Amino acid sequence: MNRLLLGAAAAALLHITPTVVLMKREDAVAKLLPGADQFVSRELHLSSADSKRIHDAVGWEPPDGVVTFYLGKKQDQVTGVLVFMRVDCQHGPIELAIGYDPHDTVRAVEVTKATVEMKPWIVEALRAGLTNEYRGLAVAEPPSGAEKVKPHVGSMPGYMAELIDKGVMHANAAYRLFYH
Amino acid sequence: MLYDLRQSDVRVRWLVTLLLATLGTSYLFGAWMVGLYAGYSPRKVAETYGPAGEMPMTMQMPPETTLVTERPISMAEMGEEQHHVDLDLLVQDTHVHMPMYAVIAACLSVIVLGLSIPRWAGLSIIALLFAAPWLDFAGMWLTKLASPGFAIVALAGGWAMALGYVIVAAIATYQMWWRKT
Repeated sequence: MNRLLLGAAAAALLHITPTVVLMKREDAVAKLLPGADQFVSRELHLSSADSKRIHDAVGWEPPDGVVTFYLGKKQDQVTGVLVFMRVDCQHGPIELAIGYDPHDTVRAVEVTKATVEMKPWIVEALRAGLTNEYRGLAVAEPPSGAEKVKPHVGSMPGYMAELIDKGVMHANAAYRLFYH
Repeated sequence: MLYDLRQSDVRVRWLVTLLLATLGTSYLFGAWMVGLYAGYSPRKVAETYGPAGEMPMTMQMPPETTLVTERPISMAEMGEEQHHVDLDLLVQDTHVHMPMYAVIAACLSVIVLGLSIPRWAGLSIIALLFAAPWLDFAGMWLTKLASPGFAIVALAGGWAMALGYVIVAAIATYQMWWRKT
């Protein structure tokens, strides 16, 4: 009986909480592709060789082998690129929007979705200035936002910052290897 | 019959009625959620659970060389999330939902044990209650790994779940509150 109760408690604890929107995708698009009045979706179905390339580079490959870049344009000139990236952990998924400027550097990063459980941890990491650390980051540079905010936040917000670093690293690798 | 719902204490019948009402409400919201995120046509389900992108009906294996497709989209489309369940999310969904489906099927089966129906009918309903979630998830996994054509299996599983619930709820409510002898 005790084992049964323990199992039920473990199952309840492991249950992933519902997803919450931290920033609407439309708002993220407006913020990360400012001034753009035309948008293009560029979808890449990666070959096995390209999946292996990105896996070798960052230890990750896109789910189902698909990477989508959203290009923002003004008067037919590309003004920026946006990637939505999901990072999974045992607490559920986090969705990031990573914007790039035409100089191949990170324009900004926004967290668009998380779970109810993770939201306060993410908000604490964001208040500590996590996303400021990504601005202007070259796509070949490893993101180090977590390292900067960890001394100022609790352990779970620090962990969330590490996950967000990881998502930015995956998006940067996809951009670096496949965008041009 | 292990026990008789018709003759059971009013507290048991009240419990079963509230359980059925609560499950029924959650099923209605479940149906709403399926409509929002996956849809009710085999094509919509295949797009949700099959390989990602615009070529779900044709591409199962990675292409020889990376394929690039470009299309203009509107701001509204960019904001709209095309809900797609990839392999990682399907693992997570299966982990989260299968135990809950098992508990629901078990609760409904316990109700079936108290119904005044032939043994074969009880066995069939219990089989249906447990087969439905298996069909649902088998459909999702087969759509993901084998062919988008298996989306029909996921749909059949969903409808079977609804059918199982309706059968149990209808017979139980009738026998508990109307046909007392």
